[in-house]
Amino acid sequence: MVGLFDRVFKGSDEMFAKAEESVNKAVADLGADAPMTLPDTAYYLACIYCYLGIKIQTLGELKAALPAVKAMMTREYKTKDIFTSGVGTAIAAEIIEACKYAYTSTPYEGTKYHGHFSDAEVRTLGVPLVTRDIPGFVVMIGPAPSADEAVDMIKGYQARGIFVFLIGGIIDQLESKGIQMNYDVRCVPVGPDIWAVGHIISLVVRATKIFGNVEFGDYDGYNQYTFDRIFAFVNAYAPVDDITVACGAGAIQMGFPVITNDTKDMWRVPKSLIINENTKDWIETSLEARDIKIKVSEVKIPVTYGNAFDGEIIRKADMQIEVDGSRVDCCEFCKTVELSEIEDHKIEVIGKDFDEFDVGAKICLTITAEVNGKDWQTDFEPVVERKFHHFINCAEGIMHTGQRDMIRIRISKGAFDAGFRAKHLGEILYAKIKEEYDAVVDKCQIKIYTTEEGCKQVREEANVTFAKRDERLKSVTDESVPNFYTCILCQAFSPSHVCIVTPERLGLCGAVSWFDAKATHQLDPNGPCQVVTKDNCLDDRLGRYTDVDEAVNQYSHGALEHVTLYSIMEDPMTSCGCFECICGIEPMSNGVVITNREHAGMTPLGMTFSEMASMTGGGVQTPGFMGHGKQFIASKKFIAAEGGMGRIVWLPKALKDQLADRINATAKDLYGIDNFADMIADETITTDVEGLMAFLTEKNHPVLGMEPMM
Amino acid sequence: MENWDNLITVEQMEEATNSLLETAAKLNADTWQQRVKNQTPHCKFGEEGTCCRICTMGPCRITPKAPRGICGCDVHGIVARNYLRFTAGGAATHSDHGRSICHTLYNAKEGGSYQVKDPEKLKRIAKEWGIETEGKDIYDLAHETAEVALMEYGKPFGFSRWTARAPQHTQDLWNKAGIMPRGIDREVSQSLHMTHMGCSSLPEALVQQSLRAGLCDGWGGSMCGTEFSDVLFGTPKPLDTEANIGVMEKDNVNIVVHGHDPSLSEMIVFYANDPEMIAYAKEQGAKGITISGVCCTANEVAMRHGIPMAGNFLQQENVVLTGACEAIVVDVQCIFPALGPLSKCFHTKFITTSPIARMPDAEYIEFSDETAAEKAKKIVKLAIENFKNRKPELVNIPQLKTKARVGYSVEAIKKELDGVCNSHVDDFGTLKPLADVVKSGVLRGAVAMVGCNNPKVRPDTAHIGLMKKLLENDIILVVTGCSAQAAAKAGLMDPDAAKYCGEGLKRVCKLVGIPPVLHMGSCVDISRMMILASDLAKDWGCNISELPLCGCAPEWMSEKAVSIGNYVVATGIQTFLGVDPYTKGSDVVTNLLQGENGMVQNMVEAHFTVDTNIDSLCDKMINCIEDKRKALGI
Repeated sequence: MVGLFDRVFKGSDEMFAKAEESVNKAVADLGADAPMTLPDTAYYLACIYCYLGIKIQTLGELKAALPAVKAMMTREYKTKDIFTSGVGTAIAAEIIEACKYAYTSTPYEGTKYHGHFSDAEVRTLGVPLVTRDIPGFVVMIGPAPSADEAVDMIKGYQARGIFVFLIGGIIDQLESKGIQMNYDVRCVPVGPDIWAVGHIISLVVRATKIFGNVEFGDYDGYNQYTFDRIFAFVNAYAPVDDITVACGAGAIQMGFPVITNDTKDMWRVPKSLIINENTKDWIETSLEARDIKIKVSEVKIPVTYGNAFDGEIIRKADMQIEVDGSRVDCCEFCKTVELSEIEDHKIEVIGKDFDEFDVGAKICLTITAEVNGKDWQTDFEPVVERKFHHFINCAEGIMHTGQRDMIRIRISKGAFDAGFRAKHLGEILYAKIKEEYDAVVDKCQIKIYTTEEGCKQVREEANVTFAKRDERLKSVTDESVPNFYTCILCQAFSPSHVCIVTPERLGLCGAVSWFDAKATHQLDPNGPCQVVTKDNCLDDRLGRYTDVDEAVNQYSHGALEHVTLYSIMEDPMTSCGCFECICGIEPMSNGVVITNREHAGMTPLGMTFSEMASMTGGGVQTPGFMGHGKQFIASKKFIAAEGGMGRIVWLPKALKDQLADRINATAKDLYGIDNFADMIADETITTDVEGLMAFLTEKNHPVLGMEPMM
Repeated sequence: MENWDNLITVEQMEEATNSLLETAAKLNADTWQQRVKNQTPHCKFGEEGTCCRICTMGPCRITPKAPRGICGCDVHGIVARNYLRFTAGGAATHSDHGRSICHTLYNAKEGGSYQVKDPEKLKRIAKEWGIETEGKDIYDLAHETAEVALMEYGKPFGFSRWTARAPQHTQDLWNKAGIMPRGIDREVSQSLHMTHMGCSSLPEALVQQSLRAGLCDGWGGSMCGTEFSDVLFGTPKPLDTEANIGVMEKDNVNIVVHGHDPSLSEMIVFYANDPEMIAYAKEQGAKGITISGVCCTANEVAMRHGIPMAGNFLQQENVVLTGACEAIVVDVQCIFPALGPLSKCFHTKFITTSPIARMPDAEYIEFSDETAAEKAKKIVKLAIENFKNRKPELVNIPQLKTKARVGYSVEAIKKELDGVCNSHVDDFGTLKPLADVVKSGVLRGAVAMVGCNNPKVRPDTAHIGLMKKLLENDIILVVTGCSAQAAAKAGLMDPDAAKYCGEGLKRVCKLVGIPPVLHMGSCVDISRMMILASDLAKDWGCNISELPLCGCAPEWMSEKAVSIGNYVVATGIQTFLGVDPYTKGSDVVTNLLQGENGMVQNMVEAHFTVDTNIDSLCDKMINCIEDKRKALGI
């Protein structure tokens, strides 16, 4: 038998030789001065940057970095040697892949492969990782024993919410079976060759940097973080060659166990390298190996249910039926009803069912969840209702967008053929509401209307409630409530970050409002959201409170001493890394520029979202930069200490349009200015400072009359 | 690799000892450090094993001019006889300790001072021995099993029952070599008989009997001691405790237990936790009662109750020198007679309890199974009442202590390994995960480090130095006795110490949730190591002698240690000694024991290696492990 160490050493030599060859060829073709950049990332070649602390910007620099990678591949026959050789192999893989990007920024265009992940893609993982919506990642390598088995495996992982990365032949197998593969369905065909693993490790180390703020070059720090906090594992189908074994050693160093069915020259290592020849049993074997416990939702519907389907797109051609709130009366509504009037788990469908409509029909439909419980408060209605989107979307073959009376639900032909009917929407909501809100919801029943008059009536009734809620929301201000809340949900990944959630400043991920925090506290009094009293205000302009300082100090375990609620310059609130938006000061105009995760383009700061975002995150305080939620932009408390939202000089157009009404209303209240949104530049106007200044002057933007920020 | 010096160093421990020796100097108290000076240089004939005084024609000392004793025995016969007598002394000691435990089991009763705490283990042993367990009252079964065990000592025919636990290959070797142990007492008696004037002088025969006498200890008397202690007091499971002199509490009544037999210390621990006693201690001006241990009694109570370990063999005087020890209560073995006079310099009561270990200047409170509760209570009370007699100006407890996780019986190790099994592919309750991790090379192998302290070695340096180097090389350690306490005192049993180890061991510790050095118990519990090696060989599918495993006693000093060495080697485990076993005087005997192609090697597939240079001893162990790996093709 060939020893495990010898296999790792041989495999890492092979990968390194290939990397060296790729770099030499690229240098020969393009020259040493040619730029070497990967698109949409602020972290250069992230594996090299993170593990070795070396920034690569040209091919010459990449070539110069090769000896440092080779130096990791030591050969003393100790575990340390296979570990560092393994990580070195992953870095070599990144180098091979990066060389493709030296020639073009889109080497995989026109193929089925994804290749490099953008920083924005990495950042979208933040919230679902924290909430355990994504309980783990699997890297699947090679062709499965059969295409059918490949499909079963993927479906199995998706049903459990596991994010799937695919390398090699399994991609062709899934393609042959018409399986949807993309980032949104959490099943990504990364690349055809084993070196595509470099992209995955790049994503892993960037997540570690972004959420854990591990120092560049802190090799042990990266491994510690991934071991403790990133629940990934590898499924490698036989035959597993030396180069894959070497990658496996790297994976194991990072804390990711490898499961294989290859027995030739393969060595069992408990909890690290597991041989299971029964490939059909791999999902459970893998989850156990990585200590991933899946909360299984008992949702009685005829299609698979899992977080992986949250991002699934149903195209028109695949659509059986569509609920279309833009054309007809539709809505979804969580309503408090007297306990005595609720028959728990009763699901009523009033009107025609899905099989009574023509294929492709656009129908009206309302869903009302009637709930109550002894600890229930009407303030929880919107909290629960906002989850309907996620609840419904997780059913395979069902796509849900929007909220309130502007919803769209598509039922795919596949789901319909599997027997999915209107009542199953009710089953989903019932099961999930009872599962997630069992501390406050004692009883729940669901009413679904598909009749025109029924829908009209429900919509009207709901709109009255929605209007009342909005009024109530407006009246709930930082001043009017007795306390704020902490949110430390992210600490699983960002151990020293603490959010302080107030009515006018929601959590930076955009997912936790003050009401959410309140409900979370109610649901789990010892959980992530704790009451922060606000008795001792030191400075109401900055939003500086003794109580807030004490809370951040306590919950960051001493990492943070002071945090203000309303300033970007003085002790700004920290970020975990999963913020929706990043705001940074623009010195020429004395204003601030905001960009969001979805916007990949350049800003007048000369930085993209990724680059700005890399300035903060991981619980660090960086005056002048601040991560926040989208809704915070229109808050009266948005950088109130520096003069408020009047400082905003630039926003991505899509974001501006989305928030325009609220921005205008707030600006009117604060400054008496009409149509303030029109004074804010966007990428269609300019992405450089000169253009920005000209535009602001032309619009007579209020920032021009404000005090300097620095 | 992070710096080991973040842990407690030998230098810090020596500094603590020096501060205590200042107190001793002030009081003109005698200490071993002084006595070593008085006794140096040691008698060369004694050290080389070439002095014979087993009849009154001599003593005879072998020199080039006088190559034979008066009876005509040559140097090889004399050295070998001395070696066998040394072994017999150790085997007798361990085995008599085991016998005493069997008696205690025989006297155990429902509601009595001694009860059966692990009935499952009792049933398992009974089944192994073919004793009917079905429908039997657990105490009836205990008495029956105890009786069978006691009969092992004097059985006229057949071999030790415990040897059936060894792999078949090992048993075959023993039979072939004529060293399969018979009745426990018989092997000791025969050893004394063989070494009587006018009996054996053939070195081969004497060394052969040394192995058999050793086996009657490790696979006989010691195994009785370990297994039935578990039945009586519970099989150890991992638990957290503390170690080093700082575990003594200034404001509490300090009772230090010392010796080897857990029957005494178990009862002392029980009464020290009695609310009535704690209240009494408070009445006497103390804040509470602290029990700590020295030597193997400490190991026993640490493993089962988390009682902190104040120190090992050469620190027994230190606990008295703190001036804060109200009573040092001893049972048997390794107790310095010096404790009597030393305790007189302080308020400390030196209480002997066993007719086996009577000493001058001691208060003798004889302990027996029948009167255990009453006597234990009396002792605790005496200590409490002595609190007020402390001389505050003499109190000095050096503030050195560290965390330790202890309690790794074979059962506990298997349980911990179950934690890294995967229910889809692995069997539970085996040592296969350990075998796999060694086969793959993630761990290179294991060393069982045992034994005492000996002033011939700077105390604890060999234990700790060797351990650190082995740990850096991904070699896991299982330890017992004073070696275990050295590791504990130095912080090597804190699970956090894994971070200083090689990457492979570090990972294993993190995944399994263990410290890198596993405390398997007292010196009697080296029998656990024999079971571990046997089960590992069975789960691996090879012979014990093929496993990348070695034994090591770098600072040993007692007869027991020689007995242990014999049975560890005879079990097929290459054994490395840091102190010479008084055999240097005979090249023949040295070759029998240590030769790479010597008699012992040919009989049991393992031999001794003696090297007083600790660095080269370590290199030899690492090479031994790597050679065994190569031979296995891994």
